[in-house]
Amino acid sequence: MMPIVQISNLDKYFGRLHVLRNISIEVAPREVICIIGRSGSGKSTLLRCINFLEEPSFGTIEVDGIKVEAGEKGKGHRQLVHEVRLKTGMVFQEFNLFPHMSVLENVIEGPVTVKGMNRAKAIELAEENLDSVGLLFKKDEYPNRLSGGQKQRVAIARALTMEPRLMLFDEPTSALDPELIGEVLNVMKKVAKEGMTMLVVTHEMGFAREVADRVLVMADGEIIEDAKPSMLFTQPKDARTKALIDRYRTGER
Amino acid sequence: MTDSTSARAPKPPLSQADLLYEAQQRRDRRFRTNVSVSWGIMLLILVYLFSGQDFLGIKTIKLDTEFIRNNITFIAGGIGQTFLVSALSITLAMVLALLAALGRLSTIPPIYALSTFYVSLIRGTPLYLQIFFFFLALPQLGIILTGLWAGVLALGLNYGAYMSEIFRAGLASVGKGQREAAIALGMTPRQTMQRVVLPQALRFAIPPIGNDFIAMTKDSALVSATGFVHEVMWRATRVGRAQFNNLEALIMAAVFYWVMTLILTYFQGLLENRLARGDR
Repeated sequence: MMPIVQISNLDKYFGRLHVLRNISIEVAPREVICIIGRSGSGKSTLLRCINFLEEPSFGTIEVDGIKVEAGEKGKGHRQLVHEVRLKTGMVFQEFNLFPHMSVLENVIEGPVTVKGMNRAKAIELAEENLDSVGLLFKKDEYPNRLSGGQKQRVAIARALTMEPRLMLFDEPTSALDPELIGEVLNVMKKVAKEGMTMLVVTHEMGFAREVADRVLVMADGEIIEDAKPSMLFTQPKDARTKALIDRYRTGER
Repeated sequence: MTDSTSARAPKPPLSQADLLYEAQQRRDRRFRTNVSVSWGIMLLILVYLFSGQDFLGIKTIKLDTEFIRNNITFIAGGIGQTFLVSALSITLAMVLALLAALGRLSTIPPIYALSTFYVSLIRGTPLYLQIFFFFLALPQLGIILTGLWAGVLALGLNYGAYMSEIFRAGLASVGKGQREAAIALGMTPRQTMQRVVLPQALRFAIPPIGNDFIAMTKDSALVSATGFVHEVMWRATRVGRAQFNNLEALIMAAVFYWVMTLILTYFQGLLENRLARGDR
């Protein structure tokens, strides 16, 4: 099957720091990929390069047929980046809901402002997605009245309402109190089950084992292992992967 | 453990926490009452000081009540002008301040430079000089402004430079994550600014803008120096000098300014409460 995401020879420098080294990945439609690794291994940067929150230094990123070369400038490049962003939803560690908008306004903001969608249509779509994350009853609340888990579920609904082809999750449960992690992971499982292509940077090994089709392990800006979770968690090839898994196992909840 | 059921009982007696809380409340109330009473006493002393009465051999200041009666409406008639100058100036100042703050975010060197140049020049010279510059120096170049517009231009330019820092702080208060969320949704830089950053920055800036407006109503008195804006200060000095009753005239003006400030501060407080009730 044609890959929906194709990352080829991606390099990223922060100043003199070489944070991504010649990364190439293919993601098939409906595939769920978890990216694990110690902090500083480059996993968040990789995710943020896909929708150009970070401009990659070298390489190519192709999302659903839109091919963008890194390091180019100008209007054409900006247009391609914009198209990639339209096909890509993102969920952040810190939720980043807009505090001056109600839950519903947060969710319709993208479709209305970016796509120029008719408000009534956007509300219909937004309510559908809020319902699916179980928060329709909070639609008129402001984000500061929600728990962390609820905020993150709204953030997922906000991303889904843009009707993306690909969802990026950047440590979606790392800022949550332990008792709130489950509700967010459950919503993510549901999204996965509905056939969304997902790239998830996470420390939740249970989730990776249960939901991921593939797990990528990153260290020092490189992908050191790429395997099915059943293989990876039982027979890690790289010593660094083994160390990482052991570390989680001993600290497992 | 055995107490856990009594905590859920329908009407529990006052617990120790309740009693402590009430005691704290009483202390707070008593403090506020005592502050109010002290204020009242100080105000009475001040009024008494100018009452002309003798008390235990202490002579107090005798004001010319007839002068006050004859001129109070004339001086009060300047309140409208004072407000007009302040309102026009603060409007101009807000526009300039926002532009200057956005200029500071620009990556285009001349725009960034223009913003810092403006702020530096204005903050580096006295407001009093700026007012005279627009009123007295510009006519030499053939540009003649009325006193009102010279004053508004000077006050607006001056406050704009200082207020740009408020807007800058407001823009800086909006976290990077907010911009990233907007960008990830596909918003253009302009949409990100308009829909996400500015609304939050302005909300942050409203209380300090209110403070500056209050300060402006008092600094607008400087415009009286041009002699052509008949606001409170101009009227007070005019009648005061003419009849050698500067004491009475300035006291009247002071009272008017003070009351205006108190009223504005009250509304400012209401506004801040409203904003605080919102999000965040």
